[in-house]
Amino acid sequence: MEADEFVLHARIDAETLDTWLEAGWLAPRRDEGRTHFSEIDLARAHLINDLNNLGVNDAGVPVILDLVDQLHGVRRVLRELLSAARSGTIG
Amino acid sequence: MAADPYDVLGVKKDASQEEIQKAYRQLAKKLHPDLNPGNEHAEEQFKDVAAAYNLLGDGEKRARYDRGEIDASGAERPQRQFYKDFAEEGSQYTSDAGFADFVDDDILSRIFTRDGRATTVRMRGADAHYRLTLDFLDAINGGNQQITLPDGSILDVRIPPGTHNGQILRLRGKGRPGIGDGPPGDALVQVEVRPHRIFTREGDNIHLDLPISLGEAVLGGRVRVPTPSGPVTMTVPKWSNTGTTLRLKGKGVPRADGSKGDELVSLKIMLPERSDPEVEKFVAQWGGTYDPREAMEA
Repeated sequence: MEADEFVLHARIDAETLDTWLEAGWLAPRRDEGRTHFSEIDLARAHLINDLNNLGVNDAGVPVILDLVDQLHGVRRVLRELLSAARSGTIG
Repeated sequence: MAADPYDVLGVKKDASQEEIQKAYRQLAKKLHPDLNPGNEHAEEQFKDVAAAYNLLGDGEKRARYDRGEIDASGAERPQRQFYKDFAEEGSQYTSDAGFADFVDDDILSRIFTRDGRATTVRMRGADAHYRLTLDFLDAINGGNQQITLPDGSILDVRIPPGTHNGQILRLRGKGRPGIGDGPPGDALVQVEVRPHRIFTREGDNIHLDLPISLGEAVLGGRVRVPTPSGPVTMTVPKWSNTGTTLRLKGKGVPRADGSKGDELVSLKIMLPERSDPEVEKFVAQWGGTYDPREAMEA
């Protein structure tokens, strides 16, 4: 989806979107100068909104996003490990 | 019928907006699916909490609810997907920073390289750490050394001239292999230098205590002096004392820019091991009145 549709779904205004993009909180796919937002960008935007509602300030948001991304990276590896262990390809 | 939003948030009907916000934040911290991705019940509970807060967190909506104008089932239950539903699949946001230090682990490498997954993961190999003990002169003069690794393979290490104790040599690409088509890590070799029998090092300078005879001290003369790059001849000036330090320019430690430090030679007058009646007779005749301890008198 494009930016105007994205801000509706994410319930933010265009100015907020610009700020988030500038801060690198959102990194949508770009090709040929056009920005394409996908489901993961939308889910991430909801998460940022929730963090704001939780009282996390602008300085705290990137810290939490980074830790959440690390946590997902670790969960992914753990999942791979478990499935490899179950299928007997390691051990 | 939807649950009473006050019950969902665990607040009294007459709670203030601040109390409602506080209750929401406490529950959301525990239940937000993206902050608690391992809790599979969190998502449903969080949606209830979010719906309740959506109704009660807004003073106007709350008033309408309290007057019975809208009911809890009318509260908007967020229809949305959570970040965790996408984040684990690998995306532009994926981060390996939480485990990158484990990737030289054998099991993890196998996971990353099996069945074509190598194309999805590209990671630089880990650095490997080694220690190497060098003789004093090998460290000063440089050269090539080898380390035999636990698996029997041999690592060639070029020792740059002037390498000092504790220095870490980085061998690019000689560490653990990369994952996927990622580059290998580096080998980091920490050097330990053994002390030398006669030389000591201070920065770029070499220090040496050089014994000289009484005759050389009094009359001067040319003496052979060991240096790290081989012996050289040096002139001892007439009337040189114990403790006199002579500087041999450029005979010290090689520097990275090609220049060299100096060797500092500290003279030490040595009498012959066995007593010599000739010397004793001569010194008795000399009978000088010099008192070297004069300055020590109170």
